[in-house]
Amino acid sequence: MTGNKVLIADDEIHIIHVVAIKLRNNGYDVVSANNGAEAYDLACQEHPDVVVTDYQMPLMTGIELIEKLRANEATRDIPVILLTARSFAITEEQQESLGVATCLSKPFSPKELLKSIQDIIYQRQLTAAP
Amino acid sequence: MKSHRGFVWVAVAAAVASLSIAALTELLGCGIAAGGRSEWLVLRLAIYTIGAVGVIVLGWTCHRFDGVVASTAMLLTRRDPQSSQEATIPEVEELPEAVKAYVAAREALVEQQQKDLCDLQIRARLAERQKRQTEAILYSLRDGVVVVDELERLIMANEPAAQLLGFDPEAARGEPIAKVCGEIHKDFVEFLHQSALSKAEGTRREMVFASPEQLRTFDTIVSCVQEGQKTSGVVAVLHDITREKEVAQMKNDFVSHVSHELKTPLASITAYSEMLMDGEANDEETRKEFYGIIQTQAERLNRLIEDILNISRIESGLIKVAKEPVSLTILIEQQMNMIQKYAQEKNITVTRQTPIVCDQVYADKDMMSQVIVNLLSNAVKYTPPGGSVRVAAEVDETGDCVRVTVTDTGVGIPEEELKNLFGKFYRVAANNKHAKGTGLGLNLVKQIVEKVHNGRVFVTSKVGVGSTFGFELPLAAAELATAAV
Repeated sequence: MTGNKVLIADDEIHIIHVVAIKLRNNGYDVVSANNGAEAYDLACQEHPDVVVTDYQMPLMTGIELIEKLRANEATRDIPVILLTARSFAITEEQQESLGVATCLSKPFSPKELLKSIQDIIYQRQLTAAP
Repeated sequence: MKSHRGFVWVAVAAAVASLSIAALTELLGCGIAAGGRSEWLVLRLAIYTIGAVGVIVLGWTCHRFDGVVASTAMLLTRRDPQSSQEATIPEVEELPEAVKAYVAAREALVEQQQKDLCDLQIRARLAERQKRQTEAILYSLRDGVVVVDELERLIMANEPAAQLLGFDPEAARGEPIAKVCGEIHKDFVEFLHQSALSKAEGTRREMVFASPEQLRTFDTIVSCVQEGQKTSGVVAVLHDITREKEVAQMKNDFVSHVSHELKTPLASITAYSEMLMDGEANDEETRKEFYGIIQTQAERLNRLIEDILNISRIESGLIKVAKEPVSLTILIEQQMNMIQKYAQEKNITVTRQTPIVCDQVYADKDMMSQVIVNLLSNAVKYTPPGGSVRVAAEVDETGDCVRVTVTDTGVGIPEEELKNLFGKFYRVAANNKHAKGTGLGLNLVKQIVEKVHNGRVFVTSKVGVGSTFGFELPLAAAELATAAV
């Protein structure tokens, strides 16, 4: 068990479902939200180690969610993985300025997502180590 | 010749005068011989002096007279006034002929000049007519046209240009274009100026102009009019491409939306397939669940592609239509059953008014099912949890057509967006946050009802209260009766 928590935000329940199964099978705790607003509230409550968010969601888009997370001191440093079905949804400069750790295009591979999450958590652990 | 003739005249005059004076003097001398000799000498001297002066005067006069005769003869005898050759000066006895020739030449000249004047008048009229025709063409163009001279003063502008740039074309004629257009259009003025300096034959640029309603984009083409090496003016043509840009943007947005919509079910199919292949479905129940999801997502993908294709086929007239008498009540019932699960997930109640008796329409069953399910799913999609959707059908006052309405307690639609609602790719911006969509559903409804079935779609809405979408179709009996006639 890794003990790490991942927040998944996507309005497609099947995406949430398959990602949750994959992560739980690999020892992660998973919390999920169907829109950006709900995701932000959960992030503030649960303090996940990683947020995985879709680009386009009702009420609050993925980009708006990231901006809000960055504006909040409590959630500013949470790494974010952006899932998008749009080509060229976000430029490298935007990715850097928003602090998006990784951008994955849909359709994505659950294996690839898992590896990205593992890499991010490993890097944070290295950085945090005394 | 003239001076030679003059000298001859003087010489002759001098000889005659001298002989006369000498003879006279001798005659007087004989008479005065008896008198004093000194008085006779003085008298002789005086007579000679007066004679000499008289001869000189006489000679000069003859010379002048000769010059006048010579000039007159030259005028009279000249055949071609433009000729650089010296005319032959006629003799005095030739003057009547010379005068006749002169008059004839003058008459010919006048006739030629009248002809030339006539030609010029005709050309001027033709030029004026061409100018009017050109102006008529320019003034009738929908594109704006502005013409300035080499000093960047306005020569002409048609109405679209004048309206766009905000001036009176007649009042502004002759004024510097910078003054006419003002600071607000300085980019346009600068573009004209730069083109004039560069003497470019055609320079193109997209320019944005502010109008009271919106910002409008114009494809602006500026050309210099050259006369030899000199720029005699600049012509600017402004073609409004605002609508084209909007359509292009809508298409880009559509492609972006559609690719997103297509990729979403594909993402599920890919992810679940990978999970199955990697053995992540631990038991048979989970595997069945995964298979089911893959199947429904594949069907979803297929429906989306079909929607896109159907719209395209309907628009191009290539769609296959299978019309038959169809009961709207049954169709509504079927689609309500399909939407119930989705509605229940959102805690939305979907109800139906008491079905009408006369509900048979002559329609393609699959297409009408599509229409009803699109309207129902939109109603549920844009209604917040806890709301309601009601379906009603009634025969209109004339008894010729049936009207179906789907009324929800949803978010509503702003008044100004209603007219565009059934347009392809159109989505209400304010409602984007409430639900996703491609902007195709309502367009497909409109195409099916109006283009294929000769019906009519309509919508009423109030923000924060809800919307009523509906359609009218001719009743089967009425349609068949019309066809028989």
